Amino acid sequence: MEFKDYYQLLGVEKTATTEEIKKAYRKLARQYHPDVSKAPDAEERMQEINEAKAVLTDPEKRLAYDQLAEQYRSGQDFQPPPDWDAGFEYSGRGFEEADFGEFSDFFANLFGQGGRSGQGRRTYQMRGEDRHAKVFIDLADAFQGASRAITLQVPEVDAQGRVVSRDHTLNVRIPRGVKEGQHIRLAGQGSPGTGGGPAGDLYLEIHFTPDARYRVEGRDVFQTVPVAPWEAALGASIETPTPSGVIKLKVPAGSQSGRRLRLKGRGIPGPEPGDLYVELEVVLPPADTDRARELYETMAHELAFDPRQRRGG
Amino acid sequence: MAQQRTVSGELIDEATLTLEELARACAVDTDWVIERIESGLLADGSPYVASWRFTSRDLTRARRMCQLERDFEAAPELAALATDLIEQNQHLKARLRAAGLVDD
Repeated sequence: MEFKDYYQLLGVEKTATTEEIKKAYRKLARQYHPDVSKAPDAEERMQEINEAKAVLTDPEKRLAYDQLAEQYRSGQDFQPPPDWDAGFEYSGRGFEEADFGEFSDFFANLFGQGGRSGQGRRTYQMRGEDRHAKVFIDLADAFQGASRAITLQVPEVDAQGRVVSRDHTLNVRIPRGVKEGQHIRLAGQGSPGTGGGPAGDLYLEIHFTPDARYRVEGRDVFQTVPVAPWEAALGASIETPTPSGVIKLKVPAGSQSGRRLRLKGRGIPGPEPGDLYVELEVVLPPADTDRARELYETMAHELAFDPRQRRGG
Repeated sequence: MAQQRTVSGELIDEATLTLEELARACAVDTDWVIERIESGLLADGSPYVASWRFTSRDLTRARRMCQLERDFEAAPELAALATDLIEQNQHLKARLRAAGLVDD
């Protein structure tokens, strides 16, 4: 385990006031907030600065941390010395159970179950915290249902009383009919309870992997299907892939580009299944051979057609 | 040591969340939820607390508001305003993406 320099993480001096620390935190929180940041490590950075702020804005924990920090540099291998926090009495509510799941091993060892402060406090019975994770699935999975392996890090106390992370892998069944942004609740798969209390729940937030072919709104699915001019003009029965598989689609005669066909109940399944909207896109064959040019010229001569006139232009 | 288990969950919306379940999922007190509903910042609940039920959308919104309030020590109204704008932005981005106008 590496020693974490919380002052360095927030970019403040060791002499910074609580207000300066909060100000530095807010500036970084704005930068790394998962809703706005595009940085790949935004969530990790957010966790680090949350942790640093949690310690440095609590006068008692900051004092205890400062004493310890005198002997370490950032990144240096670290084990908390026995009774390192002797003489400190943490008042107030202390940290929530959730903090130990969301914060680092380093934090949990100093202020959690591994530290002296954690002992004696945990004789009461308490339900474990709920946890949250995001899961990406393909749109087709919403039509058929799927299975996904989810790995979560669970803090656990080892034989030496230290807090360590353990990988907890779950195979989760993603039910058919799930929508973008919908949650699946897995009862009892959250943080373990305290003193024999029940475990919390795990909430999975479902997102669809972006797919250029489809647009989804609720349970309705929108897709564009290219058609040849003669298919659009004369009508045709064509085959087209959809998220639920290849279907036969009847193109009505006289269709124009942009015509939208609704296939009722062919969207994402559910108690009220969505619809599939197919937008026709007429694609012109290239005039790249003599024969193709000849056919276009024949049309030009023989069809009394002026698209600008039709639009009133 | 990895632990393998296969589990099935329940889909929120078909089974909606109670006030207590929503509060627990956001790691807040029920009072936090009640205050924000009564101020019109969250859900569009009926005046009868016992009949309140919450959807996936409410859960996402409540968690975002809670995080903004905590991270920036923001007033609930400000966190709700930022959440409105984030939701609006996400909706517009999804539409732009569908129209092939953005890549991310």
